[in-house]
Amino acid sequence: MTNTTPLKQNYYELYRRSTVGEALTDTLDELLQNQYINQNVYTKILTQFDKSINEALSTGVKSKAVIKGKLHTYRFCDSVWTFIIDNAEFKSDSETTRVDRVKIVACDAHVTETPPPK
Amino acid sequence: MSAQTTTTINAQSVDLSKHPSGIIPTLQNIVSTVNMATELDLKVIALNARNAEYNPKRFAAVILRIREPKTTALIFKSGKMVCTGAKSEESSRLAARKYARIIQKLDFPAKFQDFKIQNIVGSCDVKFPIKLERLHDAHTSFTNYEPEIFPGLIYKMIQPKVVLLIFVSGKIVLTGAKVREEIYEAFENIYPVLTAFKKTTTTALTNI
Repeated sequence: MTNTTPLKQNYYELYRRSTVGEALTDTLDELLQNQYINQNVYTKILTQFDKSINEALSTGVKSKAVIKGKLHTYRFCDSVWTFIIDNAEFKSDSETTRVDRVKIVACDAHVTETPPPK
Repeated sequence: MSAQTTTTINAQSVDLSKHPSGIIPTLQNIVSTVNMATELDLKVIALNARNAEYNPKRFAAVILRIREPKTTALIFKSGKMVCTGAKSEESSRLAARKYARIIQKLDFPAKFQDFKIQNIVGSCDVKFPIKLERLHDAHTSFTNYEPEIFPGLIYKMIQPKVVLLIFVSGKIVLTGAKVREEIYEAFENIYPVLTAFKKTTTTALTNI
């Protein structure tokens, strides 16, 4: 996929706090501190990461999980769903995990004009 | 619809002076309104109340739900509220009070003015099939029956002002009442008519 006319599009930054995102951020912080890269490059790489991981998750990941439990609370505001689930059971093809309570925050993957929530 | 549609109790336990048919329609939904008489910031409500939905692009109200009485409320910026889903007048009022309380706890000076039941829906089952076509022919000024559009016969009763949906199966839905007595009255009015248009298995023979 080559994009000759770069579209001005916003991507969620929430994956920066995932394991891989944090590792990248840590590395970039170090490079920035030691002045191997400048702030401009730093921002550019993270923006590219946002774009890449959003695309990778929407196209590259095929595995599915089923989450079951008792819905304690829900909320929908600013296009973000929040669920608090009691006695939740996470089932993927390989394993099952149970937790007493879990909070799920879900955003619309097809956001175009609205800025990503911080 | 829920499994329980009719309360058919033994003839002894039904007050036959009030329900000569021996059938008491079950109330299925009550819609009420109340004015909290204060301007509301819906976003604050959506962000702080539990079980709230607010999507101003689609609908200009916050949708709130509580589990007891199991109801849904629409909360508008003007402070007006619509409460739906209750099964009785009292539980509708109690639910509306609970919603007003939720709004108060978010620091809005919510009042509880002009509470009003706007609609009552009931249903029941006469337990015999009905000849809708014939009923339609005999009561044309009140009925609307277009089976290709909707399988039920729509009966617009004038006194009391209640609309009835009558199905071949004998299941009846009554709506448009402001008080439950209107539901009961409408059903007692229609019951003798329904028995007159009862579909019997011998109909086919008598038509020969």
